[in-house]
Amino acid sequence: MAATGGGKTYSFKVVLLGEGCVGKTSLVLRYCENKFNDKHITTLQASFLTKKLNITGRRVNLAIWDTAGQERFHALGPIYYRDSNGAVLVYDITDMDSFQKVKNWVKELRKMLGNDICLCIVGKILLLQTRFSGGAIVVVYSYAESVGAKHYHTSAKLNKGIEEMFLDLCKRMMETAQAEERLKGNGASQSASSRRGVQIVDDEPQATPTGGCCSSG
Amino acid sequence: MSAWHSLELRVYWTKLKSMLKTLSLDRQMMENLIIAKARQDALQRKVEERRLRLQEAANRRFAASGAMTAEDQEQRALYTNVLEYEQDHDWPKQWKANIKENPDASIVLGLVSYLLSCSDHPVVQLLRKHQYRVYNRLYPIVSRSHLESASLSLNSSHRTQKFLHSEMKRKAHRSADMNIDDQRFISPNSSLPLSHCYELNTNCDIEEEEEEEESQVETTVDRENSFEDLETFLSHLDWVPPDDLDTDPEQACDPLIQSDIEEMEARVLKEQLKAIVKDIHIAIDQLLSLCLLSFECLNTASYRDLCLASIEEAFFTPLWSALMALFRKVHREREQAFETSMRIYCNSSPGDIGVPSKLFPNDPELLQGSYPYKAAVQELKLLVQDSCPQRKLECIVRTLRLICAYAENYRCHNESDSTPKTAAIGADDLLPILSFVALRCQCPQLVAECAALEEFIHEGYLIGEEGYCLTSMQTALVYVESLHSGITNLPPSI
Repeated sequence: MAATGGGKTYSFKVVLLGEGCVGKTSLVLRYCENKFNDKHITTLQASFLTKKLNITGRRVNLAIWDTAGQERFHALGPIYYRDSNGAVLVYDITDMDSFQKVKNWVKELRKMLGNDICLCIVGKILLLQTRFSGGAIVVVYSYAESVGAKHYHTSAKLNKGIEEMFLDLCKRMMETAQAEERLKGNGASQSASSRRGVQIVDDEPQATPTGGCCSSG
Repeated sequence: MSAWHSLELRVYWTKLKSMLKTLSLDRQMMENLIIAKARQDALQRKVEERRLRLQEAANRRFAASGAMTAEDQEQRALYTNVLEYEQDHDWPKQWKANIKENPDASIVLGLVSYLLSCSDHPVVQLLRKHQYRVYNRLYPIVSRSHLESASLSLNSSHRTQKFLHSEMKRKAHRSADMNIDDQRFISPNSSLPLSHCYELNTNCDIEEEEEEEESQVETTVDRENSFEDLETFLSHLDWVPPDDLDTDPEQACDPLIQSDIEEMEARVLKEQLKAIVKDIHIAIDQLLSLCLLSFECLNTASYRDLCLASIEEAFFTPLWSALMALFRKVHREREQAFETSMRIYCNSSPGDIGVPSKLFPNDPELLQGSYPYKAAVQELKLLVQDSCPQRKLECIVRTLRLICAYAENYRCHNESDSTPKTAAIGADDLLPILSFVALRCQCPQLVAECAALEEFIHEGYLIGEEGYCLTSMQTALVYVESLHSGITNLPPSI
């Protein structure tokens, strides 16, 4: 999609989704600040961040797009996802409503971008000793697997799991991009006249059956 | 006597001599003319030969790319013109040498702006040709809408309405081809809705290329006037909302048919807009590739971007106001929604729009009679003044940066007593503030402007900061449009 092939730099767009207050901002700030200090914070602060990586000898430029978690801004969600290579979906493990929101987003993303987009579902732990029932874990993991996403537990405060999660996401996005290159035959350069197609998703109310999810606390 | 004789003889001799002289002069002149003719013929031949040679050179240049399409042929003809131009002018060689010697972005920009100032260069001629073509399509659409709104305000559209009414009944309802021959409609089948006076030959055959160019030069003066023409009427163009239709009691038009007409009209307009946008993309692609063919030294990733930016600026500047008129017409409903919200919420505080209280000053004294984020509002107001998409996009980026800087400031001020937190502004905070700024901007045209940017901004920019800013802006605009429509959309009171 946005990836450039042929030994050059990959450019990936990653959208960050999650209900307000689940702490997407601190997660991504932690990731982008950690190694490379403040330089990587653009003038847009935590809403739009970039990060340069080097994975197995290939340069990767990440553009991380934060989205507003509030329901009232969701009507235009799809224009944020457009052309994304990856999505990080964050929920709070103590708040299963926030997990339900994640499920809605996954549905929307798959509907719009199919399997071209790599998904990471991230359960945010505030403190390491936060307890959650084993049943919930099983449900969450099996859901992630069923939609082709990876599940992670991270803690921005303890800087745990974040680096791993993004690294894995990048690797998967590279694989997808390489597969796409092979499919294109690598030779055919994209003609400038092939304009991007704007996909339109009906913004019907996202009424997903809640059965099977551990909504009972 | 002999003296007399000799005198006569001398006079006669002089006469004869002068006659001979004239004759020889005539002969010389004749000879000269013949030589000149021969020379001219030779020159003509040479020119022809050169043209053929260049044509071959152009053919060779394109030989690599297999089968010839009409597009290739056109490109080849254009490239021949470029080669011809370069034989007659020295500056391209000098600039090329310059860039080779000292490759630098500023020299590249210099070259492109010099190129665009040479009105006889094929690149510029192609640019004008495309501009006229787009303009010729826009003019009848926007000028018609102007006439329409004028007639509406004079309440004389009754006849038209009646006519339309009967027409609608006579014609098959919602006929697929929509061939209603009224001033309001243009058949989508005619690819070029030409205006009465400005016809443009769109045939691009190589043989006709020269003729076309000539005819274009002839009509240039007229067209330039019509550019001015357009500008004057655009300045008078004020949006007349269509509710005038409903308020006229005499027009007892069936509301069902009325809405059908409007719906159909909107559909036709959308189609026209789509076709024009496509034409513009094709035109810009063609211009860029001819530019890169003319100056191969520009064909690197970064120089190509510079080149494209310059071409776009030259292309859009004279056309933007006409384009905007069409975009506004297509997005009229959204603009009206925005305007309604604007009227209702014009004096609301950031908190009313859902901005967390820590992100704006709660102490009115601190604002000194102003309002929060005023600098960002003022920046955003400048957007409509630019006439090039790239510059408009930069204006949006500056607006968002200002918002972030001010939000940070306000928060530091509000939290001065507690320990400073490191969490920065994320989208959850940014969007409510941006919506507030858009409301305060009081400029419904932003809706159409952003829709146009979405069409014309190069894809490469859409993944980066610019793309993020444009996406956020559009989200905020849609939110503002929805604000007035119901309590469901109201932000939770904080």
